[in-house]
Amino acid sequence: MLDHLALMSLDALLIAVFFTFLWKRDRRERFRYFWKVFAALLLGAIALGWLMYPFPRG
Amino acid sequence: MADGARQSRRPPLPLAALLIAAWLVPGLGHLLLRRRARAAVFAAVIVTAFVVGLLLDGELITPKNGDPLSLLAFIAILGNGALFFAARLLDLGQGVVTSPAFEYGKTFLLTSGMMNLLLLLDVHDIVSGRKDW
Repeated sequence: MLDHLALMSLDALLIAVFFTFLWKRDRRERFRYFWKVFAALLLGAIALGWLMYPFPRG
Repeated sequence: MADGARQSRRPPLPLAALLIAAWLVPGLGHLLLRRRARAAVFAAVIVTAFVVGLLLDGELITPKNGDPLSLLAFIAILGNGALFFAARLLDLGQGVVTSPAFEYGKTFLLTSGMMNLLLLLDVHDIVSGRKDW
């Protein structure tokens, strides 16, 4: 339950499902949109993590 | 159901009452507007996020003196409606700062509240006819 990637994936999953059903009506459109948002959130967070890596805390 | 039939149907409650219902119970606004499938999905997503947030030792943020950002966070958390009040009554969501999952828990709680607030806008759009589905 405390695995960072799992928690981040769960958050991304819930947000992607939410926005898919909020903004898309058609089933095909929903499928495409869901994966786009899910991937953007997950890969974006990982990319951001890597970009922040060289900067020490504090 | 055909869009035309939906559009011609009048909302079951005045807009203000619908918005309050939608705020208090995630998905109820859409359910009252007969968007059953979407109501179920929204309710499931928001309740899941909220419960996970509590399980991860997240904090139901309240406004703190000298911290104006806490007011914004409080508004987002308040977006959870009845879930927020129920958790408060049960003394949940105090937040365990030392927990490794604390920040994640807070994020889930903020996210669920903001998603529910977005649903209010969606309910408004449906009732005002800007959205026909």
